[in-house]
Formats: sequence, C-alpha cells, structure tokens
Amino acid sequence: MLKINNLHVSIDGKQIIKGLSLSINKGEVHALMGPNGSGKSTLSYVLSGKEGYEIDEGTIEYNGKNLLDLDVDERANAGLFLAFQYPMEIPGVQTSFFLKTAINSKRKFLGMPEIDALEFAKLIKSHAEDLGIGSEMLKRDLNVNYSGGEKKKQEILQMSILKPDMAILDETDSGLDIDALRIVSEGVNKLRSEQNSFLVITHYQRLLNYIKPDFVHIIADGKIVKSGDFSLALELEEKGYESISKTA
Amino acid sequence: MSTAVKLDTMPSEDIFNYAQKAMLNNPFENFKIENYKYAQLHKSITSNSSLEDFKPDFSSINSFKNLKLTDSTNVDLLGDLNKWNYNNSDSYFRVNSISERSSKKIDLDLYEDEIIYLDLSIFKENIQILKDTELSKTLIINNSNFSDDCPRSIILNLSENAQLNVIHYNISNSKSFLYFEINQQDNSNVKFLSFQSNNVHTRNEFFASLEENCSLDLYGLNIHNYGVNDNYSFIQHMKPSSQSREVFKSILKKGAITNFQGKIYVDSVAQKTDGYQMSRSLILDNESKANNKPELEIYADDVKCSHGSTVSKLNQDQVYYFKSRGINEEQAIKILQKAFLVETLEVIENTQIKEYSYSILDSRL
Repeated sequence: MLKINNLHVSIDGKQIIKGLSLSINKGEVHALMGPNGSGKSTLSYVLSGKEGYEIDEGTIEYNGKNLLDLDVDERANAGLFLAFQYPMEIPGVQTSFFLKTAINSKRKFLGMPEIDALEFAKLIKSHAEDLGIGSEMLKRDLNVNYSGGEKKKQEILQMSILKPDMAILDETDSGLDIDALRIVSEGVNKLRSEQNSFLVITHYQRLLNYIKPDFVHIIADGKIVKSGDFSLALELEEKGYESISKTA
Repeated sequence: MSTAVKLDTMPSEDIFNYAQKAMLNNPFENFKIENYKYAQLHKSITSNSSLEDFKPDFSSINSFKNLKLTDSTNVDLLGDLNKWNYNNSDSYFRVNSISERSSKKIDLDLYEDEIIYLDLSIFKENIQILKDTELSKTLIINNSNFSDDCPRSIILNLSENAQLNVIHYNISNSKSFLYFEINQQDNSNVKFLSFQSNNVHTRNEFFASLEENCSLDLYGLNIHNYGVNDNYSFIQHMKPSSQSREVFKSILKKGAITNFQGKIYVDSVAQKTDGYQMSRSLILDNESKANNKPELEIYADDVKCSHGSTVSKLNQDQVYYFKSRGINEEQAIKILQKAFLVETLEVIENTQIKEYSYSILDSRL
C-alpha cells in the first residue's frame, strides 16, 4: 500500500530525513518510535504533502501511484489520513459544518451525491457517541477552546467518518489521560480491518498496549535503525532509545 | 398599526453643511486633515468629477435587485419591495417630493412588522429619521449600484427606549460618500451593520452620541472592494453606563486599500462606560493595504475601554488542515474568508435579511 524508498528530506537546507525506507502492506499496523527530533513528525507531514519540505532523494509509492505527484487534498481523497499532533484551531467554522464539508469532498471525489442531512446526523451521532463527543461540541467552532484530549478525539472522529485506507497517527497519545487514551485507541481499533493500514507514531509503548502493532520501527537521526515486532517496543521501554540505537 | 417610525424634516443646515464641507472642501489635496489623511477624496470629489478614471468589475455580481433570498420560500427581497408603490398614499412610503438634494419634507407611514427600506437611488435627499418606539425595527439603507459624487447625510435620532437594527448595503458603487449620525437618548439600542463590497471609492462616516444606559453595536463588513474603502467613526459616550461595541472586518485583494479610523470619546460624566473597538483586516495578496487608526479619548475615571487592530494574511496552516481532509484549496479559502467575517452578519436580527446577506456574501467570496 505504502512504499517509502531511500527518502531524504530537508527543511531550509537542513537534512531531517536521511535515507528512510519503509513498506506498509494492506491490513498492517506499523508503529514508529523514536526520540525527539528524529524526524517522526517530518515524515508524517511529508506523507500528507505539507509545503516547505524538500524531497532531495527517494520515492514514495502509494497504491501504485507516485504519492509525491499529488496535492494534499488529492492524497486525502485517495484515502490517506493524518491525525495531527497539534490539530489546527479554526475560529468561525462550526465543527459539524467542517465534518460535512470533508465528507462531501470525498463523496464528490468518488462521484457520489452530497450526503443528506439525516444520513449525516446519523453517521456523526454514532461515531461521536463512541468517542464520548457530545452534540454540544459539534456545534462549537472547530478545535477552538477544546482541551488537548478533545482535540485528539476530534481527529479520531474525522478519521472514523472518512474511513481512510492509510491512517497516520502522529503522537495521538500525547496529552491524553488514561481514559481518553483508551477511548481513542478503541476508536482506532474499530477501524482496523484487512483493508486498511496504520502508521502509529509515538514516544511511548503505552499506546501500543492498546493498539497492538504488527511491526515496530525505531527511527533515529532521520532513518530507521531497527525493526521488529511488538517485543521491540517492550525492549525499548526497558533500555531506552540510546542503547537500542547504538546496538543497531 | 402604523407610525412606528416617523421621518422628520431635513437635517439642519448646519449638519448638512458639516458633512458636505468636511468632504468637499480643501485642503484634501495635501492630505493635511487627519480624519481624511488616507481617504484620497480629492481623487473622486472634484468639481469636474468623472467616472472615466474608474473601471469597476461589476460582472461578478448581479445587480442588488436580482439577488434572491436563499430560504425555502425563495422570496425576492426586491420583488416584495416592488409592491411598495412609491408616491402612493396607501404605500408604506409616502414621498411628497423627490428632487435632487432639495430640502423637501419626506413622510413615512410604517407598519409594525414591516422592514423599512430606503433606496438612496430614489431618495435623493439627506434624510433624518426619528425612531420613537420600543418596537424592534429593521431599517435597510440601500446605497448600491450607483455613483454619487456628492456627500449625503443620514441622521438617525432614537428617543428613549427606542430600538433599531440597521443594515446598510453599500455594494457595487463607483463612488459614494455617506455621513451617518446616530443620536441615542437614554436606554436606546442600535445594532448597525454596514456591508461594503465591490465598491471603487467609498467613504462612510459614523458619528454616534450615546446618552445614559444605551447600547450601540456598530459592525462593518468589507469584502473585495477596489480602490479606496474608507471608514471613519466617532463614538461619543456623553452620559453614564452606556456600551459601544465596534467591529470592522475587511478582506482585501487586487491592490485594494481599506482605511479604518475610529475614536471612542468618553465625557467626564460618562462613568461606567464600556467601549470596545476592533478592526481586523485579512489581506489575500501582496499589493493591498490596510490602514488602521484606533483612538481613545477618555475624561472619566471609572470606565472600561479597549481597542485593537490586526492585519494578517490567510493562515496557510489552516488551509493545509482543510486540504488534509480532502477539501480543495479554493473551497478552503472561501470557508476561511467567511469564517473571518461571519461575526458581523450575526448583528442582523431579521432571519430573512440575515440569510439574504449571507447569500450576498457567498456570491462575493
């Protein structure tokens, strides 16, 4: 589904990702762990298509297409979703209006008519309830005055209704209390199927107790230095990044 | 029943002269008068004023008259207004005489539930309106689709406890220069929106005077004008315990210039005044300009007054966030422009007029 090959990325001339390769197949959940500044968030932005990142070398293939040829919205409509570490606040735009516009953009892309009001209400209600998001919150401006946990839940709500093929969760666990972590993880697990894949970026093994990954990769200084299964995350928690990076 | 509002005689010669002199007389050429520093009126108001210098693009907006209300009943605002037969004694408007800026008296008979509509292309006079009831009323002042190089004054006098919601449409004018005066007696309440779009050169002046326990919401929505769009306000708190809230929002492109200069004046007896003023501009290109000059002049010691001013570009991280959810850039920018302005339209109380105004805004994004 997603094939990253020898990726080199720089920002303002400074190299951040230095030869990263990663393959994610349909139905797989990959965890990417690494210390601060190792290039985790940069990778997620590059995958989503954010401006300001220079691709110096390498390729990214997504469902057989060159991902780098697609604009941000085209990637999203092709099934790629990034749950942001710091979701944007959008004053003046009601949350439910934003969700509806996003759904209709995808439907338009798929050649479907706009969602009718009743269908939309039902869809939102079912997913929002699962995540403990009240109808009051959907009336508020998007992410404005949301708590850290509410913002992350909002990201997962968007993911749930857009049903991406490939979801990237960028430190979704940061800023979450234990209960919110469980609720968010359940939201992710509900979407897991043989049809879609996840790249879960995190600092901590804790999240991976809830979202069990098939593969764990450790990123240090812009490239993957070690890959393994879930046991690698446990080892990392025990020994720390430094010793693992050294042994790699 | 009738006569919720009555229109008085012409404004006094003094006031008329004030507005006209202020706008017409020298020394605009050398920009020395502070209140007109950036208004560039000398370019439009001259004895040999010519439209040749201005080439507005009106193709993107239908005439005001053709825009439809967007609600389910699909009422054409002007369709209804056409029923208001001018010069007919049974009509809501009874105009004794219309002549070019004459000093004739105008009488209005109005019904409680009706919206008062003043089309400045028909009413050539300077206008003074007296609002003397508590009934909430909507007054539409339509000053769209024409060119008027002579300044004109509109005076709103509110008696005690009177309420008025004013929507001023200032759309697709080559030139227009208006002087508004709002005189509020005790406990009166005014909500005023000036909707300005697609104009080439405009100057709007808002002079308000508030007595005890009044409130004034003065909002400006300024989107995609050409040339110079200039707003000046002077809000005087003359008695205690009044509130004024002033918000002007502008979106600019294609090298447009917007000027906002506003003063809150608090008299020494006007304790417990609550004054707020905010002007915000969103600039979509590298050529447009926003000049903001907020001013406070306070002589009382127990008041709350604040002002602020921002000039910014579109937040590209917000656009990126929309795009990351599959919403294309064009639509994202439209939604963000609307989000920036939406607060101003909420001042409109009448639901149909509000929806109608939203539809005009949508057509301008």
